[in-house]
Amino acid sequence: MSAVRLRELSKTFHTGFWRTRVHRALDAVSLDVPRGAVLGYLGPNGAGKTTTLRLLMQLVHPTSGGAEILGRPVGDVGVRRRIGFLPEAVRFHDTCTAEEFLEYVGGLFGYTVAERRRRAALGLDRVGIGADRRRRLRTYSRGMLQRVGIAQALLNDPEVVFLDEPMTGLDPLGRREVRDLVLALREEGRTVFFSSHILNDAEAVCSHVAILNRGRLVASGRVGDLDLRVRSWELVAAGPGESVQAVGGAAARWVTRIADGRYALELPVEPSPEALAAELAQRGIQIVSLHPRRETLEDYFLRRVAEAAAAAISDDEAECA
Amino acid sequence: MRVICTIARQVLRGAVRNRVVYAAMLLAVGLAVAAPMAGRLTPGQDVKVVKDLSLAACNLCGLFVVVFLGIRLVAREVEQRTVDTLLSKPIRRYEFVLGQYCGLAATLALALTVMTIAMYVVLGAAAWWRGVPGLASVAPVPVADPALLKAVLLIFVQLAVVGAAALCLSTFSSPVLAAVSTCGLYVAGHFGGELRNLDEVVDSRFVTSLAAGLSYVLPDLAAFDVKAAVVHGQPVTAGYMVLTAASGAAYILAFLVPALVIFTRRDLL
Amino acid sequence: MSRLRGGASVFERGGAGSPLWGRTDAAVVATILLVTFGAALQVARDRETVDGPAPPGIRSVPPADLVQRAALSFEAVLADLYWIRAVQHYGRTRLSGGGAREYALLHPLLDVATTLDPRFDAAYRLGAVFLAEPPPGGAGRPDLAIALLQKGLASVPDRWQYLQDIGFIHYWWLRDRDDAARWFQRAADVPGAPWWLRFLAATTMTEGGDRAGARALWRLVRDAAGDSWMREEAARRLAQIEALDALDRYQRTVDRFRVRTGRAPRSWQDLLAAGDLSEVPVDPTGTAYELTPFGAVTVSPRSVLTPLPDSGALPARPAG
Repeated sequence: MSAVRLRELSKTFHTGFWRTRVHRALDAVSLDVPRGAVLGYLGPNGAGKTTTLRLLMQLVHPTSGGAEILGRPVGDVGVRRRIGFLPEAVRFHDTCTAEEFLEYVGGLFGYTVAERRRRAALGLDRVGIGADRRRRLRTYSRGMLQRVGIAQALLNDPEVVFLDEPMTGLDPLGRREVRDLVLALREEGRTVFFSSHILNDAEAVCSHVAILNRGRLVASGRVGDLDLRVRSWELVAAGPGESVQAVGGAAARWVTRIADGRYALELPVEPSPEALAAELAQRGIQIVSLHPRRETLEDYFLRRVAEAAAAAISDDEAECA
Repeated sequence: MRVICTIARQVLRGAVRNRVVYAAMLLAVGLAVAAPMAGRLTPGQDVKVVKDLSLAACNLCGLFVVVFLGIRLVAREVEQRTVDTLLSKPIRRYEFVLGQYCGLAATLALALTVMTIAMYVVLGAAAWWRGVPGLASVAPVPVADPALLKAVLLIFVQLAVVGAAALCLSTFSSPVLAAVSTCGLYVAGHFGGELRNLDEVVDSRFVTSLAAGLSYVLPDLAAFDVKAAVVHGQPVTAGYMVLTAASGAAYILAFLVPALVIFTRRDLL
Repeated sequence: MSRLRGGASVFERGGAGSPLWGRTDAAVVATILLVTFGAALQVARDRETVDGPAPPGIRSVPPADLVQRAALSFEAVLADLYWIRAVQHYGRTRLSGGGAREYALLHPLLDVATTLDPRFDAAYRLGAVFLAEPPPGGAGRPDLAIALLQKGLASVPDRWQYLQDIGFIHYWWLRDRDDAARWFQRAADVPGAPWWLRFLAATTMTEGGDRAGARALWRLVRDAAGDSWMREEAARRLAQIEALDALDRYQRTVDRFRVRTGRAPRSWQDLLAAGDLSEVPVDPTGTAYELTPFGAVTVSPRSVLTPLPDSGALPARPAG
């Protein structure tokens, strides 16, 4: 069973004073997120990531299509007992303290007072809000609010966690912590659905990705199944420096000495590196490793977005003709 | 039901920590305490003036609290996006709105209770200070008259109606517009009597029946005001109390039902 | 409550393509029902208080200067409000046939209205009419009516209408033709006052309160009145004078019948049978005059002309 399933989900907004301008924020997006997956929901700003999450949380009603979480339609209030949500740029009632707020959230789940206290304390410990838990939220920094947001999203021990831009506005340390947290959730077997426009973060933690551009799904799948192109080969050789330079220097883009008697060579995709490897071996130079260097998620993403844009333009031209 | 209570408690907590609400209540209590001094200006009427001023302060400050909170409750949660977090929890949107309204009513009740206690303390002090017999000879109405509670009770119902209107308006319009409309309703609700008796001034049957119809459709807020009657010791019958409170309850629901539906259907962007 | 619970199950459906229209429908119906219910309760409550406390604001009137200070910058609106209340108070009391005691709040209400808005013409002129007319038609306080008009003159001295109205009250209700003539004269002296005021003053001075003078006076009022109520009132007064003339005429007919037959006529039928009259006489409003068992001719109590001004105010010109 999928944890999250989108079926032809679409949302159109009418903007402007007379609501005459039509903005298609989400256009027939279908997506299956298996249980236990960590999905990076990626796309540039304005691609429709937040709209998707708000549709999943029923903050916004779909124009057409539908969505299911854990096999139940999103309108089902009961399913929200099993999910957690961290909104984008989260804010809370700023007159209460972190502790009080989490206890309030516990109240919304219908926990007893003792249970609320226990879960609030546990949650705050987990995100590292220590002595500050009795301070008013008004005095919190952006990063601390984000931690409280994560704590409230995890308060009910959710099976699926939705995080909307969890790393935006955080310093490098904070981003690292969020990354570790997502990995920990993955370890615990929870499904994580998180949106981001920072692709490096996604690459480090995701098992799956879905790429969205202008409301349309451009690509989706397991990270390993993506057709990441080979951009170059990395060859590590052990042997005397002069001979490595002599053989590989012409073919390689560059040669670096990585340790005593060990050199790394960056080789182009064409011609195939096997010939060079054979030549090196003949000269008595040991080949330690030979790896393809694939494009990064960011390269992939940019390529797919560009392809989608090109396809759209050619479609338009076809229509014009 | 428990969820509604939880939300209401949170609203109450937020309001109690709000300096504006504090200021309103302090002002009212201060007015009640200062009233005896004003009372000295009108010989023989000091107790009446204390009662008049205290009840007016209750009404006015209560109105302030209700409008100030009522228009901000839902609108602010949506605007500041605090609602995003809450609505992702297992609560329905109507529970959220009802919880907010109950919290508003609870805040109002708390504020009125504090002000009423202050009023009775001042009245008790005035009675003790001046000596009860002298006062009793001036007016046949007892100083710390329990009937004053009738006025406070109807003030509560009146303001609860206004609060429901404010909440309803704030579910679909901007806070400023909601505040203006709520105040407009408060004023219009006080002219019910004038509208109803327009046939004594205007001849057109159409105009008079329109005005009379309007006066019955609008909550007659002036009818909730029994301050003068209570202060003068005129009887306010139980039937009057029950019917007025019941009509108030009907209007509260009439404002809340559209509020719930509008808020449920709304896209929270 | 069941309605709300029914709504809850609909709310859950949510999602795409759910029948949103259905629950809007239910909500509209529920709202209308609730408003109707609330309105019904308000009506029931108002029934409850028929002999309870009076409508708001009418129970007592605060001192005018106090209201003025409390009015901030809303004097004009408040003045209108107090004027409306005065009119309602007058109208309601008049309909219920109340006496002078019930009109007790009339002058305070008018005083507040005119203090808040010192140039409130209608409040001075119509207010004076309300105050001057004797109960049950008015408060029967010509003195307060004159005081109100003089208050108006203090703020608008060149308003000759107020002077004319004061003269009128002297003429009609205080039965003092000399004073009346003096006030008409003062009105005529105001620059811009119409020519007929001088004529009126002269007529009043010389002829002295007969029906012909009164008729001339009311005609002038009727023709110059800017206000429809004033015009209708003048027309009613003219009809009353006409009725008074007619009553004198028919009384003479009845008296002749009595002298001839030695008994009072039991009804108009007796006079019709005897050929003294060709038809049952009616007053200018079309209502038949009444004949009392003692042979006195009067205006029907059902007629809007009732009560006629007492004959002392308008002495009939000697017959002949």
